[in-house]
Amino acid sequence: MGDEVKPTKVIDARGSFCPGPLMEMIKAYKQGKIGDVISIYSTDSGTKKDAPEWIKKSGNELIGVYDRQGYYEIVMKKIR
Amino acid sequence: MPTNLKTVVIIGDGAAGTIMANKLRFHSDPSEIRIVVIGNSSRHYFKPDGVHIPFGFRDYRNSVKPSAALFNYGVEYLRDTVSGINLDDGSVTTVSGKTIEYDYLVIATGDRFTTGDLPGYDQEAFHFYSLEGALKLKDRLKDFKGGRIVIGQASIPIQCPPAPYEFTFQLDQFLRLKGIRERTEIHYVYPLNRVFTIQNVAAYIEGLFEEKGIIVHKMFNVDTIDSGSKRINSIEGESLPYDLLILVPPHRGQELLTKAGMADESGYVDVDRSHLNYGSYDNVFVVGDATNLPISKAGATAHFESEYLANRISSEVNGNAFFESYNGEVACTTITGPNEGITLFFSYTKPPRANFQSKSDYFLKWTSSDTYFSAMIRGIM
Repeated sequence: MGDEVKPTKVIDARGSFCPGPLMEMIKAYKQGKIGDVISIYSTDSGTKKDAPEWIKKSGNELIGVYDRQGYYEIVMKKIR
Repeated sequence: MPTNLKTVVIIGDGAAGTIMANKLRFHSDPSEIRIVVIGNSSRHYFKPDGVHIPFGFRDYRNSVKPSAALFNYGVEYLRDTVSGINLDDGSVTTVSGKTIEYDYLVIATGDRFTTGDLPGYDQEAFHFYSLEGALKLKDRLKDFKGGRIVIGQASIPIQCPPAPYEFTFQLDQFLRLKGIRERTEIHYVYPLNRVFTIQNVAAYIEGLFEEKGIIVHKMFNVDTIDSGSKRINSIEGESLPYDLLILVPPHRGQELLTKAGMADESGYVDVDRSHLNYGSYDNVFVVGDATNLPISKAGATAHFESEYLANRISSEVNGNAFFESYNGEVACTTITGPNEGITLFFSYTKPPRANFQSKSDYFLKWTSSDTYFSAMIRGIM
């Protein structure tokens, strides 16, 4: 997680394969409220590309994509 | 009754439960393994024909058989509904009040359509995922004179992930045969940034869509259906009008498994991906659509899983060596056009490749209900 932003919700989708992690992120987005920061952990390399594309397409804010030890962390902010 | 007789209880009489029971019967002697299937279906429908029935390309009566007639000799079929699973006691209870103890439990309860998860669905959307749905859509298509058709899926996961694109190819063919293709726009919506979950297959299918003039809307996750204005809206902010909406319904696993504490509200059970057992139980297994495995929910999956599991259980009971594991193997054939089809082979480690269409793949799919009812469901292939 980026040092400066504390997530409202963390989804640990490690071990789940595409499109599972992205679907989990979209589910959390639907259930969340404006301003929520959602962080997802994924070991599926496809999520690193798919999730930022979805965040952009859906008009939300991509805070960052972080290469952690053995997994990726993607952080978004719900702005619509 | 011999004291060493083991009882295998299978919950579910769909493709997974029936194939599992019949394969296990082939692999084992009735003096060593008693097989009890508990299910409540009066008929067994070959779901892959749902992409043909709405167009009158296949007669639905060839796609349905009585469930009870499909079990091999030596399988006990109990028409009942399971009301509880007691993992610690090793028993299941039924609505009629029976308690049945097991040595091995195989859960093959499939999944269900939860149209209530998407308001407006029941009033507006058609689908082809059940026999009733396919026949209702057939009636609607009879009167269709042209217009704007939106096709997609309400959520992920769904049964048979390639079915929406296969259906779309069949729809395109139907409209051309009817002479109204030029008066019809086909819009295909998909939740991801491609038209199928797997990249190389998606690229191939998208090329075929382009050839046939099918308009694609990617990253379209269905949010709402507005029946007043006849529009379907996505979470991403896109809004499409329709004259005919064909949408695969939302799916969930069975409530029974959520109530038993084996699954969350989605109803799908996490299982060991190589051995199909649930949690720390080495005598409780889940096969078919009920699992949370990252592979297609399809009859072919149940078929490959059952081959592994029937071998495993019979070997264990017989005291034979067995060192195999399930590798995520699935095969799937779809029709892509007149006399054209493709077959995809998957496993956990090898993604499928779609490189060419062939007439042999077309015939493989076209005759699949006959192969299914005569051989596959019986456990002899």
